[in-house]
Amino acid sequence: MNDLLLNSKTICINNGLSESEKISSFLAEYVTANKIPDETHNELRLVAEETFVNIVSYAFSDTETHTIDIVLSSNSREISIAFTDAGTAFNPLTDCSADLDNDDHCDGGMGILLIKSLTDYQEYNRIEQRNVFTLTKHYTK
Amino acid sequence: MSLEIAITSEANNGKRISIAGSLDSNTAPELQQNIDAEINDSVDTTIIDFKELDFLSSAGLRVIFKTKKIMDNSGGKFLLVNLQPQIKKVFEIIKALDGMSVFKDQDEMDEYLTAMQDKVKDGE
Repeated sequence: MNDLLLNSKTICINNGLSESEKISSFLAEYVTANKIPDETHNELRLVAEETFVNIVSYAFSDTETHTIDIVLSSNSREISIAFTDAGTAFNPLTDCSADLDNDDHCDGGMGILLIKSLTDYQEYNRIEQRNVFTLTKHYTK
Repeated sequence: MSLEIAITSEANNGKRISIAGSLDSNTAPELQQNIDAEINDSVDTTIIDFKELDFLSSAGLRVIFKTKKIMDNSGGKFLLVNLQPQIKKVFEIIKALDGMSVFKDQDEMDEYLTAMQDKVKDGE
């Protein structure tokens, strides 16, 4: 996985939902430059949106503006997206469980189910008071 | 990424909601507002047409489930048509297609609606 880091790009955005368009543009630019297949792009766009919405919804309890760093990395087989924020400790993998028994599917767990289903690895770490959530997806050109 | 919404009247007191573009956390509130204004328990059939929809996230799914609930509670029909493969996959991941009336295209849905109407006539 070390070679992933050789090809990384970073964007820093605020914790407002309207910022998700910046993530989409950032991702589109990256996948075009690195010739990542369309299907992988589409699925990663959904994963990025769901992760971002979860962070915005749950990581910050105040109304202040906070920043979230997003790093895209890839090699010829995998692409990863890492989200880092200085919010309260929040592990989307365990703190946001899917409740699909609920008839109306209105609980926030749909997002994490989509994230888990559309990526091959998910890793959460709390590093120096920051949440670092990294998602990796295999692809073939 | 924007969302285009067109709500039109259909035969037999139905409404068709055609959505194009991206149904995500930014555009879902706009769709919800449109649905709140047009869909209520006096509508007999609500059709969501996904033909031009490229992207769907969980925020959009919540609006769709909420609309289905209105129709379920009033005894109306709730139909989904023209789901593109990437959209269908999202529904499949969250196991939401069971219990939904989903049609691959307009012809398949017309066939269903005609059969339903014939059934009603036969019962009269």
